[in-house]
Amino acid sequence: MFKTVKSKILITAIIMLAFLMSAFMFHTIISRMKTKQLMVQNYGFSINEYVEDINDSIIKAEDNLKSLSLIGSLFYKTDRSTELTDKVVTRIFENYPNSLGGGIWFKPYILDKNKKYVCFYAFRNKNNKIILDKNFASKEYDYPNQDWYKQIISQVTPERNIVWSKPYYENLGSYTMMVTAGTGIYVDGELVGIATVDWELSDVIKKVSEMKPLEKTFSMYDKNKQKIKNSFALLGNLNYDNIIATNDPYLNNDDLVGHSLKEVPWYSNNLYAITYITYHGKKYVPFYRKMPNGMVLVICIPKSEMFKEVDKFYLYIILALLLIGFIIPALLYLSMNRYIINPIDKLINIAHKISKGEDIEIKIENPEEFAQLASTFDKMTKDIKSITRERAKINSELSIAKSIQASSLPSIFPPFPDKTEFDIFASMEAAKEVGGDFYDFFFINETQFMFLIADVSGKGIPAALFMMTVKTLINNLAQIEYEPKKLIENVNRKICETNKQGLFVTMLTGIIDINTGKTSLINCGHNLPLMKRADGNYEYLQLEPNIPLGVFEDAEYQVYETVMNPGDIIYTYTDGITEATTVNNEVFGETRLFDCLNSIEDNNPKIIAKEIRNSIMKYTDSAPQSDDITMLIFKFNGNQNNVKTFKQAAIMNNYNTFYTWLHDVCKEWNINDELTNKLDMCAEEIYANITFYAYPEKTGKIEAELRKIDNNIVFEFKDEGVEYNPLEKPDPDINLPPEERPLGGLGIFMVKEMANEISYRRENNKNILTLIFKI
Amino acid sequence: MEITLKGTGIDGLYVKAAGRLDLDNAVEYGAKIKDFIEDSVEVITNVTLDFTEITFISSFGLKVILELYKQLKAQEGSLKLKNVSEQLMNSFKMVGFDKFLLFE
Repeated sequence: MFKTVKSKILITAIIMLAFLMSAFMFHTIISRMKTKQLMVQNYGFSINEYVEDINDSIIKAEDNLKSLSLIGSLFYKTDRSTELTDKVVTRIFENYPNSLGGGIWFKPYILDKNKKYVCFYAFRNKNNKIILDKNFASKEYDYPNQDWYKQIISQVTPERNIVWSKPYYENLGSYTMMVTAGTGIYVDGELVGIATVDWELSDVIKKVSEMKPLEKTFSMYDKNKQKIKNSFALLGNLNYDNIIATNDPYLNNDDLVGHSLKEVPWYSNNLYAITYITYHGKKYVPFYRKMPNGMVLVICIPKSEMFKEVDKFYLYIILALLLIGFIIPALLYLSMNRYIINPIDKLINIAHKISKGEDIEIKIENPEEFAQLASTFDKMTKDIKSITRERAKINSELSIAKSIQASSLPSIFPPFPDKTEFDIFASMEAAKEVGGDFYDFFFINETQFMFLIADVSGKGIPAALFMMTVKTLINNLAQIEYEPKKLIENVNRKICETNKQGLFVTMLTGIIDINTGKTSLINCGHNLPLMKRADGNYEYLQLEPNIPLGVFEDAEYQVYETVMNPGDIIYTYTDGITEATTVNNEVFGETRLFDCLNSIEDNNPKIIAKEIRNSIMKYTDSAPQSDDITMLIFKFNGNQNNVKTFKQAAIMNNYNTFYTWLHDVCKEWNINDELTNKLDMCAEEIYANITFYAYPEKTGKIEAELRKIDNNIVFEFKDEGVEYNPLEKPDPDINLPPEERPLGGLGIFMVKEMANEISYRRENNKNILTLIFKI
Repeated sequence: MEITLKGTGIDGLYVKAAGRLDLDNAVEYGAKIKDFIEDSVEVITNVTLDFTEITFISSFGLKVILELYKQLKAQEGSLKLKNVSEQLMNSFKMVGFDKFLLFE
């Protein structure tokens, strides 16, 4: 199955595709990794931007603190104008929207030994208006005892002058979460008070809790502005190791505020480690950012969410690749089928059908190569067809010619069933479709019988046409003049007149008087015939050769005169017999023909012809027939007046017609009464026997023949019934006393007694019983 | 075939026929004689066959005569053949009938 073009191309394509796919796959994996790195980086950048915002706030808060501290120290050192200070403080907070409030707090009794509380505090009311609040300088609030005050005042040093308090809930105004940044107010190195800014954490916390990647983080997969879900954040203060805010869904966040950062399970001290953390079975990418005031921001983004779009994107790419990996071979396969395999299959199919003889037009339009191949193929097929058709036409014409030629030669044997004076048989087997050999025989008049065998020079149609001309010519001229010499010379002259092609004929002809047996033989350059006398062997007749017909107009022809006696046979033939050739180019030859004829015992011309034909076939074996094989055999029987035949249906009650015929013959031949009586008795017995035994069921013919040869009467009976030999019947004992004698068996016994010779033979499905009587 | 039969029990049967005693006629010849003997009121045991005008006898004729002879002999009768030609006599001799048949 891998031997076909189809599979080979397909396998090559698949291997190439596999390489290509691997390269793509490798590239995809690498780029996916790179993309993820890039994404993490981008997230970092986004978070940095966010942290920047917070930082800005912190810096601003610190700047304000510094301003407040400076105002505080000026108040302490200068005229201590309360009015001016109030205005400045108010202005500062008006310009710092992130701050809820803040102020300047002097140490107790440091300005005046009688005055414990001196402070300037302003806050932002609900209408975003800055209000100075004098109520804090009171025994009730007693700010020096507040935690934030104590914390800040205890921590500030001239070097580290900004301190951030722990976050706390402001319980006076808005109950928002606050962190207070404070700085010391130093005058000549002495700490006289602190300045504070209350920074509202609610904004920061809100931002932390809504922590999400920015839209521009990775625009490629953010078309629907999808937010990363399940991410969470932590804001803490490293200086105090406490949690400012978190929105970790697994923790009780409110309770955790102010606790140690270590209580957050995913918090790490190593802020710069870029490792994934696993929390509640999920992987997160943490981003740590530390701010200048000691705050830290940690954002945890679930890995799956973060890379969801990327993974999805690459999954699509891989799926697309796989799809292409299937589609390309499939398309290749389909197009190959359509453009290569199908046309080939079609051609094969058509070639197959054409070889079976179907008449199909080959039509392939696509692709061009196959279209050309198909049209070439089609042309070839048509050419072959037309050649075949022409050949078939020629063949059929030749076979018509052959049948015309064959039908022009007498082919029904015996040709004259009522003529007993001779037997004749002739045959012609053409080597090609039409041959140059021919034979003919006919009665010129009532007694003159002419036979001839001839060989026209050349082969094929021209020879056949010439042969027909010659044959007709002889037949016609013989009616005008049958004196042999004159006839042949006339024929020769006529052939010469009409023969423009230089063809000639060799011929052997005989004209015989069937009453007397007087025979004239003329040899026109033909093979010598053989003659067998009734009591002798076949001998070549040494005839004057003469020249073939159609050569010289004035040629003279010598005639060989002889008398044929009853039983004499003439065997004539063409050179197709003597020149029949074996595969080794050995010819049958005249000697072999001579020997062959003399080995044939039968005198029946038809059987002689058959025997010779068989001998030639046996001799030449597988070699093809090189020339026409033609022969004509003539057997002279003489005047047949001494032969009488009788034929009728073998029926019991019409024996009388038989004995009437018998008695007539006997009378004609002057046979005495005694012999007539014997013949009658025998005839009747045999007639009855045939009727009873040869035709036990259905009736058939009985044939009888009486021949008078010298002093013998030959009485022959033939029937076509079942095999039955009457001579096998045992003879009855004629010496028994009459009472014991059986009634049957007398007849055949009498026949045996009366006939001088008796014999039975079975021949050609016939019972033949021959009786011979001496006259 | 023309056959003349005449006779009585005492004189015996006299049969005269003309022509051939052959395949065509012998059976008829025998049958007529037999019928006559059977139909006769008196018992006929002696038969004379006149062969004067019989020109031919074949084995079928001989068979009929042997059958008739056997029948008469069984009744202790006799069969005589009258005026058998020499030529026909040869036939009788050939089959040995001359040894028991009476010829006149």
